Amino acid sequence: MNVPSYLAFSPDGVPWLTLLLLSTLAGVLLVGLAGWLRLPDRVVRLGVTAWMGVPLALAAVIWSRFNPGATAAGQGTVQLVELIPWIKAIHVDYFLGVDGLSLPLILLTVVMAPVAAIASWGVTDRPKAHFALLLVLEAAMLGYFMALDFFFFFIFWEFSLVPAFFLIQSWGRKNRRYAAFKFFIYTMAGSIGLLLLFQVLYLATRQAGLPTWNLIDLGRLGRSLPVEGVTGSLRDILFAYMEKVGITQTLGRFPLLYTSIAFWAIFVAFAIKLAVWPFHTWLPDAYAEAPTAGSILLSAVMSKMGAYGMLRIMLPLVPDAAQYFAPVLGGLALVGITAGAFGALANTGGDIKRLIGYTSINHMGYVMLAIAAVAALPDGATQDSRASALNGAMMQMVAHGLSTGALFFLAGALYTRTKSWELMDFGGLRVAAPTFAGVMGAVMFANLGLPGMAGFVGEFFIFRGAWATLPLFTNLAVIGLIVTALALLLMYQRIFLGPLNEDWQKIADLRPSELWTIMPLLALLLALGVYPMPILSLANATATQLVAVFQHVLS
Amino acid sequence: MAFFLTYAWLIPALPLLGCALITFTPLRRSKLASGWTAIALMLCATVLAVGLLAATAQGLALRDGQVVPLAAAAGHGEATAPATGEGHGEATTPATGEGHGEAAPAEGHGTFAFPEPNVVQRFAWAPIGESVFAMGVYIDTPVAAMLAMVTITATCIHLFSLGYMAANPRQSRFFSFISLFTAAMLLMTMADNLLLFFMAWEVMGLCSYLLIGFLFERPQAYRAAVKAFITTRIGDVLMLLGLVYLYTQAGSLAFGTGAGEIFNPELLKRLGSESGFFGVSHATGIGLLLFAGTVGKSAQFPLHVWLPDAMEGPTPVSALIHAATMVSAGVFLIARTFPILQADNGTTLAAVTLIGAFTALFAATIAVAQYDIKRILAYSTLSQLGFMVAAIGLGGWVAGMFHLLTHAFFKALLFLGSGSIIHGMEATPQMKALHHQDEYAAQQTAQDIRNMGGLRTRMPWTFWTYTLGYLALAGIVPFAGFWSKDEILAHAFVGANWVVFGVLTLAAFLTAFYMTRQWRLVFFGEFRGGQPVVFQNPEPAPRTAHHSHADHHTHHDDHHDTHGHDDHHSNTGPNWQEHPSMIAALVVLASFAVTAGFFNLPFAIPGGHWLSSLWRQEAAPLNFIVAGVSLLVALGGIAAGWSLYGGAFAGAHDTDPLNRQAPALFRLLNEKYRIDELYAASFGRLTAILALAWAWMDHAILDGVVNSIGRLTLFIGQLNFIVDDTLLNDGPDALASGTLATGKRTRRLQTGKAQDYLSYVFGGAVILALVYLYVLK
Repeated sequence: MNVPSYLAFSPDGVPWLTLLLLSTLAGVLLVGLAGWLRLPDRVVRLGVTAWMGVPLALAAVIWSRFNPGATAAGQGTVQLVELIPWIKAIHVDYFLGVDGLSLPLILLTVVMAPVAAIASWGVTDRPKAHFALLLVLEAAMLGYFMALDFFFFFIFWEFSLVPAFFLIQSWGRKNRRYAAFKFFIYTMAGSIGLLLLFQVLYLATRQAGLPTWNLIDLGRLGRSLPVEGVTGSLRDILFAYMEKVGITQTLGRFPLLYTSIAFWAIFVAFAIKLAVWPFHTWLPDAYAEAPTAGSILLSAVMSKMGAYGMLRIMLPLVPDAAQYFAPVLGGLALVGITAGAFGALANTGGDIKRLIGYTSINHMGYVMLAIAAVAALPDGATQDSRASALNGAMMQMVAHGLSTGALFFLAGALYTRTKSWELMDFGGLRVAAPTFAGVMGAVMFANLGLPGMAGFVGEFFIFRGAWATLPLFTNLAVIGLIVTALALLLMYQRIFLGPLNEDWQKIADLRPSELWTIMPLLALLLALGVYPMPILSLANATATQLVAVFQHVLS
Repeated sequence: MAFFLTYAWLIPALPLLGCALITFTPLRRSKLASGWTAIALMLCATVLAVGLLAATAQGLALRDGQVVPLAAAAGHGEATAPATGEGHGEATTPATGEGHGEAAPAEGHGTFAFPEPNVVQRFAWAPIGESVFAMGVYIDTPVAAMLAMVTITATCIHLFSLGYMAANPRQSRFFSFISLFTAAMLLMTMADNLLLFFMAWEVMGLCSYLLIGFLFERPQAYRAAVKAFITTRIGDVLMLLGLVYLYTQAGSLAFGTGAGEIFNPELLKRLGSESGFFGVSHATGIGLLLFAGTVGKSAQFPLHVWLPDAMEGPTPVSALIHAATMVSAGVFLIARTFPILQADNGTTLAAVTLIGAFTALFAATIAVAQYDIKRILAYSTLSQLGFMVAAIGLGGWVAGMFHLLTHAFFKALLFLGSGSIIHGMEATPQMKALHHQDEYAAQQTAQDIRNMGGLRTRMPWTFWTYTLGYLALAGIVPFAGFWSKDEILAHAFVGANWVVFGVLTLAAFLTAFYMTRQWRLVFFGEFRGGQPVVFQNPEPAPRTAHHSHADHHTHHDDHHDTHGHDDHHSNTGPNWQEHPSMIAALVVLASFAVTAGFFNLPFAIPGGHWLSSLWRQEAAPLNFIVAGVSLLVALGGIAAGWSLYGGAFAGAHDTDPLNRQAPALFRLLNEKYRIDELYAASFGRLTAILALAWAWMDHAILDGVVNSIGRLTLFIGQLNFIVDDTLLNDGPDALASGTLATGKRTRRLQTGKAQDYLSYVFGGAVILALVYLYVLK
């Protein structure tokens, strides 16, 4: 096979990505084995947590093998590629690879999975199934971030719903059925358009001479970058197919129309996952009703799957439509930022998990704003400003994953002590549990984007990039910074400040195991906040290449 | 000297190390060990900062790791600076008055030239597309002066806290927080770009939040903490937008006048001439957004409401953060970004002047009618910050910075003095008795100046040092405040800004008046604490007297309680001890309150205009008319205060003479123009309503739509099921039982066999694959 310059195979020939994927699935088998051997639950939970160190170590190896600055032929080089023909008849390939957009999220996934496992130590109801599902979920998410063939991409995308569904449905709170169904059906319904679109794209590219599901090639075609074996851009290819099928006779001969339809099919699928307003109402339910581990993985990693999908598919495949509709996306982002912030504020007298869920909507609103800003019309923006927005979005995702995961972990720890999620039930716990209060305070400030913590770096670069293309939305979006801060401070106040609530005189402070689960997350948040280079340099080259296309007027 | 220049970054690093040591090592278990660790590290930082100031005063600079003398020409440097190793790439171009000087509102005091840096050290921080964002330190002479001031006051306040906070079980944590704060303030001062400046600025905001809410069991304390954080954050996010705007325009946030740096003359010229939003020039837009940060942090009107409430924090915090350093950071910001503010022909600076002058007078009027000793000082701080802001707005860069430095010393002194007084008051039997019922009410009662009196003989050290601070603030020659305030007034006078001059003069009069009122009521006359005006706590602590007693040792207030609890009712004489560490801090600060003015004497004598020449700015000569007027006004204020309050308040419950004469006005001032209530009723309520509205929209509308679609789908499914299973299979006679079965099966459908759904998906994928196989043959 003739390998294009923008794909780089593993330098040492070891299929590290497949190993990473298999390591999690091997964990599932080990849990099964443990079940067969009737090993005690304690062994299983320690074993699974320890086993999650294997993906962590493999991801570290992948990171060390990754060359962050590599670019080729107008895009960031996709590295550690594994490309094996799979179903030859329909040109499906087993195609894994990482670039600057996926690697930070892979790292986030392998870091957060053990946190979720530790958060599940208290699970007494069918713990083996619970831990097995955690590993399955980790596998699905990792596969999603590595798969570069739509067939596998979509399978991992849908498949990640299954363990998440069962985690919510079987171990969640009292309203879990409703939440699990809403979450499952909503996401699945949203991705129908995406599935159909790729059938059409396959047929269109087949007509153009290169039938493919290859997301990298499709992305290159979308951006009019050369792909061997085919000429023209994806827009032309799609339009030509529409002409051939005859749809243009009814709908009109407007190429942008068809890329726009494609755009909306893609956008809706990923917007639901990213919880972009108005597709966000599943999120507070799902986050709130899920068990702690579910909330952690859902908020820390799964919501990033939506943003990643937009970066991997929406921006490169249909840049013209993305540019055209960028103001709409920016508007939705703004509404989401506001809705999340005020939604959180409305929950300051209620459920702690719903409150954190709403702050997630707010934070993901900034990511959406960044994506809109990357795509919006030139209007004085430079490639650097767009790259800044995209780097900021990557940083924001990593920071939000770490800090929100930690918040949910601590909320769960609070629940195991008090059996309550209601903020009004607490008060003054800082007296009885000073370490808990200190750690949660630090996590909260990381979450609300205090400078010195990673979240601020993300927000700053997003704002810096968004100002150049969407100044009005950027200006209004800062309302979210104030209101979310208020909501989180009030949350903290209700739990920890004031005179100690008599009911919790004897509440236990943070245990060492809990403390040392959160400490690495806090250390990462602080380290990246002070010196964001490790993540930003990872993303920067790929991001800079990706945004180049938007420097021109495309439609 | 090379050492001080090269290792200047140690100045913020040392207090940060202190914070880390106290927080994470066993040191935290000992109050004394943690306190002395913090103080020792602060002392080292002070030595470094003073050494750095000395080095920069000699005109030494660090270039490529070599110490070289800076070009002597004041502000019109001959581009001598070669590139430093760390990438301060461009030789400094002549920073000039010629380029944009005419644009400044020429108030007769020449133009401002950004001083040349003595040290620039930068490292790559974040890659942004093809460029790299660098971070580092940037030290010029104003920075060096600020560093010296901050380290000296912070060290004094650390020392003071050793005695003042001794009874608080969380004293170690207190030291950890104020060390972190000091590190942030020092880092902000020496930041080489606006982003780092902003980051350190926000960390200070965090520390302010933590320290205002230090006594977090009290609703008043944590509420004030949240209020301070959110109110300043309003200014901060606007400032962040200013940063982003500036970054977009300039492509950089680095200080300096070189190409690609934000004070580059060509860039400034472009910012001033091109217009952005609403036809306003970029410079105006950026300038006003940056100034919003100042309004929040320096508590200028209309965001001033948080600072008086911030007095809920322990008094050393009020002295350090809410008087000497953090609140003046806002002034430092506009001093730092002054070239941008003046790049637009004076629109921004006019707004700055307006806000500053208004706040100066507005806050001074409120201070006249307050009884709480700390709140009087807080409003006084607002007013003095207004003076500084107005000075910068008038183009009096040196005057504003000078007042910032002198004010820091004497206001920190006054706050620490008030702390010493409160400390003494709380040890009186009346307060202790009250403390057992309600500790918050006891503290508020102890802070009420009506309950004091005659403390001159009881607390001599406090009295004499406080008096020096008072004279400095009132503006009596030759104390520090006189020289700096006079320079500000002179700017307004020479620039013929008569309104501003009048407003500031009136504010100066009121300053002398309310300070005299306070000084007179606190230190003279008879002690009135025997029958105090007791603070009525609107939300008394929920615990019983028994509880209060039991908790006494675990969550204690910031006062020193040397007595046991069983015998102190019989204790006859108040304990008016003054702690040695507290006295030491007061004396050091008092010496600066006396002498700080001499750093910039407006005379052409050796040592005169020292700060002006250090900062390489044009020196302002003494204007005898203004000096005379300001002295007369100060003396007039003192005389008015003395005569009005000479015979007032024989007992604590007497009516204030002003209240007797103008009750309506006095009430309005006492209630701070009711602005807090106005904000609560408008912005506060609006926010709550918006939150409810958004929640309702999610719940009722969006979820309604989602659920309806779900129900509709289910209904179609049921219909389908009925048609298939019942009508066609079982026949009409099985309709009844079929309906039952429908319910049952639908319920099963609903209870979640997601495997089924998944198998549909995979089945679909397989079918599609087969279709393609078929299509492809």
